[in-house]
Amino acid sequence: MNRNLARVVATLLGALAVVLPALAGAYPLQVARNVMLYMALAITWDMLLRSGQISFGIAGLFGLGAYASILGVIRAGMPAWASIPFAAAFSALAALLIGYLILRLRGMYFSIVTLALAEIFRIVIHNLHDFTGGPEGIVAPAGVIFGGSASGLYWLALVGLAVALGASIWFEKSKFHFALTAIRDNEIAASSSGVDIFRWLLATFVITSGIQGLLGGIFVQSYGFATPDSVFSADFTLLPLAMALLGGIHGTVGPIMGAVLLGVASEWLKLQMPYGHLVVYGIIIIIVILFMPRGLYGLARKMARPAEGRAE
Amino acid sequence: MTKLRTERLTRAFLGLVAVNDVSFSMEEGEILGIIGPNGAGKTTFINLVSGIIMPSSGKVEYKGRDISYMPAHERARLGIARTYQLIHPLENLSLIENVMVGSIFAKGNGLKTARAKAEEVCASLGLTGLDRDTSKLTILEIKKMEIARALANEPEVLFLDEVMAGLNSDETRELIAQVQAIARERKLAVGVVEHVMGVIKELTHRVIVLEAGELIAEGPYEEVSKNPRVIEAYLGGAA
Ligand SMILES: Nc1ncnc2c1ncn2[C@@H]1O[C@H](COP(=O)(O)OP(=O)(O)OP(=O)(O)O)[C@@H](O)[C@H]1O
Ligand SMILES: [Mg+2]
Repeated sequence: MNRNLARVVATLLGALAVVLPALAGAYPLQVARNVMLYMALAITWDMLLRSGQISFGIAGLFGLGAYASILGVIRAGMPAWASIPFAAAFSALAALLIGYLILRLRGMYFSIVTLALAEIFRIVIHNLHDFTGGPEGIVAPAGVIFGGSASGLYWLALVGLAVALGASIWFEKSKFHFALTAIRDNEIAASSSGVDIFRWLLATFVITSGIQGLLGGIFVQSYGFATPDSVFSADFTLLPLAMALLGGIHGTVGPIMGAVLLGVASEWLKLQMPYGHLVVYGIIIIIVILFMPRGLYGLARKMARPAEGRAE
Repeated sequence: MTKLRTERLTRAFLGLVAVNDVSFSMEEGEILGIIGPNGAGKTTFINLVSGIIMPSSGKVEYKGRDISYMPAHERARLGIARTYQLIHPLENLSLIENVMVGSIFAKGNGLKTARAKAEEVCASLGLTGLDRDTSKLTILEIKKMEIARALANEPEVLFLDEVMAGLNSDETRELIAQVQAIARERKLAVGVVEHVMGVIKELTHRVIVLEAGELIAEGPYEEVSKNPRVIEAYLGGAA
């Protein structure tokens, strides 16, 4: 019953995503693009969270991908489309090196180090002025990908979302589900059952960071320029985090729900309070953590079958 | 055939020597009791041979291979499995999924094969209702689930750290019979820690006795239980 309902909703959402460009004008399409971008980031954040590791590094890997993409085009003469998978590879490779150093850390220590990533990358890009354009940013001479066509950009964003969705569903149905849940629940029991904890965490960190880099590439090619402040903005960390928490963590459905709700709301909020909107996300995060730790999806499931709800 | 051997195995925690110079061996098909008063070092000893902690000095050998500093997950793959004195359920996985974890990661099985193997192991322990959350299980079922998860590693050496604790006498009898049957069928070497001497007497072929980290006696239970040093260790521990 429940599963069928979920399937119907998923099919409807999918159909809507496909027909939207034919129905909607440029502005709604741009809002949809933003929602899809944040949704994809929320999903990747959740994928690592399934192992119990709370990352505040989304903006860092996202912004790194953005710069890899635009510099790939400007400095290496890549075609714009090719710079996007290049961005994914670049962020994934960075995550491999960083992961080697930091994935032995746990809890607060891991989180704090990831929080510093965006700041470190931003400073590096500031200082490599001649190569990166420094604080003023850098503009692609060829402009926006697909000549800025609204539907072209929409499809590109949809591809980014599809990659994140596909990876997340794969995680839920494969050995990743068992490895990450076992690590989250009890590392000692996991290792006694043969789980190579470090390897699974590293694989997850590399995959999710690669997707974040890909999304950074898509983002930057959709605007044709990058500045350190725009692509490393705390928005890219806080908004996905708030979305996943609001919708419900540890699965694909929650972040989608949270992103639809908060994504639309945030477009409006950004217009209302260009600087204050981050505060609202912060408040949402706090309220959800305090009163609704399983998010809206968890709440809905509990109400649908209270007898089967897990003990908190 | 000797499955597991330690040589002068020692582990100190900031001056406290929890396991001190212990040499022992375990043979194929043998059920070995590991006894001793509270704090004697039994759990620490199992932690050392299963790789949860590393020795300060000495050696652990598995089938002739030095594994003293090998990480736990690699030992699990080689064939060493264990349960925990304090239960360690994976609470966001169902009963069957808990058991599958051993098969997936220690044996490298795919999910389908792992499920089939896990169902088999659960059946041998009389576990049913396999899709339940762990929060819905009784203590006996949780203990069995943890034994099943260890067995899903398809180990050759298995340690059970106080699995009978907290069970009533009927449940204990049931579990003893199942452990015996499984050990026989799989030619397992089993190391059993229990405080109830009735269990040790019934289940084991041989026991080793630890006191303050040292191995003070070794032999069949009947013999060891008459050893004055052992009697004193227990009385001293209780006083
Ligand atoms: N991680 C640790 N850090 C410090 N001391 C420890 C640690 N683990 C065990 N110990 C100490 O080592 C000694 C042996 O403990 P251990 O748990 O191995 O005993 P045990 O024989 O299993 O006891 P019990 O029958 O109560 O389970 C105890 O004094 C304990 O406090
Ligand atoms: Mg103990």
